Amino acid sequence: MEQLLQQLVNGITVGSVYALVALGYTMVYGILRLINFAHGEMFMLGSYFALTLIVSTRVGVLQLVPNVLLGLLLVFLFSMGLVSTVGVVVERVAYRPLRRSTRLAPIVSALGASLFIQNAVMLTYGTQYQVFPEGLLPTTVWRVFGVEVTLMRVIVLAISLGLMAALYAFVQKTPLGTAIRATALDHDAARLMGIDVDRIILTVFLIGPALGAAGGIMVGLYYRQINFTMGWTYGLKAFTAAIMGGIGNIPGAMVGGLLLGILETLGAGYISTGWKDAFAFVILIAILILRPTGLLGERVAEKT
Amino acid sequence: MSRSRGIALFLLAIMIVGVGGCAQPKAEEKKPAAPAEPIKIGVQGPISGQWAFEGEGIARAVNLVAEQVNEKGGVLGRKIQVIQGDDKSDPKESALVAQKMVAEKVIAVVGSYASSLTEPASAIYDEAGIVHITPSSTATKLTTKGYKRFFRTCFLDDRQGLFAAEYFSKKGYKNLAVIHDNTTYAKGLAEWTKKYLEERGVKVVFFDAITPGEKDFTPTLTKVKAANPDAIYFTGYFPEGGLLCKQAKELKIQALFSGGNAVNNPEFVKIAGLDAAKGAIVTTEPLPGDLPYPEAKQFMEDYKKKYGDYPKSIWVILAADAMRLIVTAMEKTGSAEPAKIAEYLHTQVKDFPGISGPIIGFDEKGDRLGTIHKAYVVDDRGEFVPAP
Amino acid sequence: MKWVFQINEISLGPGIARTYALAGLGVLLVIYPLVVNDYWAMVGNFYGIYVLLGCSLNLIVGDAGLFNLGHAAFYAVGAYSTAILNTRWHVPTLVLLPLSAALAAMFAVVISKPILHLRGDYLCIVTIGFGEIVRIALYQNPFGLTGGPNGIFGIGRPSLFGFVFRRPWHYFYLIWAFVVLTIFAMRRLEESRLGRAWNCIREDDLAAEAMGIDTARLKLLAFALGAGVAGIAGNLFASNMTVIAPESFSFWESVLMFCIVVLGGPGSVPGVIIGAFGMFVLPELFRGFFLRSRLLVFGAAMVAMMLFRPEGLLPVQQWKRAAESRGEGARRAAAV
Repeated sequence: MEQLLQQLVNGITVGSVYALVALGYTMVYGILRLINFAHGEMFMLGSYFALTLIVSTRVGVLQLVPNVLLGLLLVFLFSMGLVSTVGVVVERVAYRPLRRSTRLAPIVSALGASLFIQNAVMLTYGTQYQVFPEGLLPTTVWRVFGVEVTLMRVIVLAISLGLMAALYAFVQKTPLGTAIRATALDHDAARLMGIDVDRIILTVFLIGPALGAAGGIMVGLYYRQINFTMGWTYGLKAFTAAIMGGIGNIPGAMVGGLLLGILETLGAGYISTGWKDAFAFVILIAILILRPTGLLGERVAEKT
Repeated sequence: MSRSRGIALFLLAIMIVGVGGCAQPKAEEKKPAAPAEPIKIGVQGPISGQWAFEGEGIARAVNLVAEQVNEKGGVLGRKIQVIQGDDKSDPKESALVAQKMVAEKVIAVVGSYASSLTEPASAIYDEAGIVHITPSSTATKLTTKGYKRFFRTCFLDDRQGLFAAEYFSKKGYKNLAVIHDNTTYAKGLAEWTKKYLEERGVKVVFFDAITPGEKDFTPTLTKVKAANPDAIYFTGYFPEGGLLCKQAKELKIQALFSGGNAVNNPEFVKIAGLDAAKGAIVTTEPLPGDLPYPEAKQFMEDYKKKYGDYPKSIWVILAADAMRLIVTAMEKTGSAEPAKIAEYLHTQVKDFPGISGPIIGFDEKGDRLGTIHKAYVVDDRGEFVPAP
Repeated sequence: MKWVFQINEISLGPGIARTYALAGLGVLLVIYPLVVNDYWAMVGNFYGIYVLLGCSLNLIVGDAGLFNLGHAAFYAVGAYSTAILNTRWHVPTLVLLPLSAALAAMFAVVISKPILHLRGDYLCIVTIGFGEIVRIALYQNPFGLTGGPNGIFGIGRPSLFGFVFRRPWHYFYLIWAFVVLTIFAMRRLEESRLGRAWNCIREDDLAAEAMGIDTARLKLLAFALGAGVAGIAGNLFASNMTVIAPESFSFWESVLMFCIVVLGGPGSVPGVIIGAFGMFVLPELFRGFFLRSRLLVFGAAMVAMMLFRPEGLLPVQQWKRAAESRGEGARRAAAV
């Protein structure tokens, strides 16, 4: 029983990061019907930028910034901003010119962009694993009902849920959010209603990468060890989560992420850890066989 | 767009390759090189891709040794020229790199990293009569094919496994969790360790793989905790090792954390955090700092001076040893003939002051003799010191 | 590009140009391995294997319009079935060639049957998923069959009437014989009723269904045939290398095949030949130049190629489109 609870806690932590990254996939897909294969790299860039900022400003060591928490908040904001910029540049360079072409070309372009960013990071930072400094945040562990819960897990979960709630409110309640939803339904109709579709796409490419970056920063802060290939690993999982929840559907990505995290953890915990990633895909395939558009997905009209 | 145009384009493309190919002399027509020409030595490894840090380290070590030799005037009055080949962790690329090395007329090659990369290359080098030393491919099968010019400076998986099993049983551990990461090396070591542990009556209560490159191993560790071992032995690499050690602490697992020689890296302590890493054991070749040879310390410092950091893994050091052996063989035999070098390595190497410890020789198959493993423990300052 | 087409037609006539070009190609194929060294012969071998893989994936992605980003799984089934049967029961590798093709095709039928109703991007992720499951299975060494991360060593070399294929240039002829055969078969297939029916499904599968095309059966057939050819490529790869390991069947390999198809122009066999050249031989030519930044340049080139030629280097000829718009294609396809 304790083991099961512990595994659930493990799964939720991992899942909340998947969910955060999955949002970027799902938002871009909702608007452009494009699988943004470079999104995983935004996640990776987020943690590399954060590391650079933390090391160069010496947050928590030199106290250049009076408070560690304030310093980390600034790190979050700056890295997310930088990654957003990269996201917008990628959209401009690699996706926008292809918006009216076949569906195959943007996939290759996205894969190319992903490869480019990954290797640019490798050439800049080197091939080694990078390590976040120790002791930025306390490593408190609580014992609740026989389950070990670290402070960092609570923080990761709180930030993820907070960001997701904020995004949900933004998309549902604000005029810009409404415009995003309208554009996702029908570009041309949205344009007729006076919505600047290019601006909406820009907004999506600002928000998606920023959320991915937030995930990357948290992974960096929590696990403290990052490498330039981690974008593929997390990106593929997050993409799976987005599809599982029904791609294009924002609550779907959140549910999909958490579910994937929990199920793969249980699979690893009760069957075999070596096959863990295989479980993730088996679950995905099973869900898609039963519900071809994912858990919360509606039938989206396919652009051919 | 017509079909003929496509074919014409293709023809043109083929021609370009054809010309490129023709421009290079055929591999079979080996002419003795003029004395002034540099001696070409190849280094093959995954310089890009997931194992880039290993391939890069191997290439750096070989380049550094070559540079040092060249500064002292080279060997036999000739400079050494290092030819680098990137096999991208792909057996197919490995075969291509090997053919390329043959075409470049290298006399010896250091590499590659994993056994599945070394294997296709070794067949090609053997056919071309090139001396081939792998610093890191530990699969037993590699040396069973009767290749006369194939060597390795690493030890087979089973020797370290034997050492680890003996260590744990001597120290009175009863239940062990063995974790590997599905890489050739780690899985091999894990399987040998398990076998020797069970022979000594130690129970292996958990045996499974984690996925390298992942960050969260708590699902695995929660399972390990339920199996209640008194020690965990992780045979994979330090990036995952550090995370496992840290997360085991977070889950309040009381078992001793220990790892194989790929965990033996200062980064391990950095990732795990001193608090979690304290007391962790690694089984490994002696650390350069503990070797009586000045060469070892010197090499570590030279490496740091040139590349800004100490070598990231043991394979880097074994690659440097491979290169130093080749150079020494050339100096001692006064020849850059692969046949002479191979003969020297087989028969003359005795107590060579390796950076990785004394190299007491190679057997007829090309495997490194002896075993020099030791147990180290992470002390209060986060440094690896010999375990009591 | 229109004017080029016309000049070709006027000055040479497509028939004559084609004959000359084909004859030139044939001569080149025969001479090439004799004049180059082992390294370039080997480059030619892998190029041939990629053309085979590209052709097989082109059938699925280009002709039938089914997104498949897990093609390496079929390639792996072909290679591993050859390796396992050869090393355990010493069945000659050439005998295993049709068998590994059949096994790969059967595997494709089994896994693609439940997922064919998925559309576009959903199919894409599911095929990625299958690719990953197969790769993980290779690493996990189920029933001790796949050898885990070590892979399988010591696969026998193919032999024909007592002649053993040993040197890279021996293989060159073996591999390219299959390439030529496959290209020929693909061209015939494209022009057949089957090919037209696939194109119909690609353009609009609802309309195709309405025309009376059994879309489910034909999609399955596309997967089976494509996987079968990939199985042949796997067999040739395994016997050429004599060692195989899971690294050769990674997600990246599927991406490479996918890019070969898209780069060349989906649905176009000459496109595959050019695409494979661009994705495999060209980077090989630059091996010496960008040692560390090779993949960086490669990624940038992929983006640039798509920006300049989103329809691929050699897209399907206009005549085919024209015929279809006259309704001929649809009519013929409807008869399937």
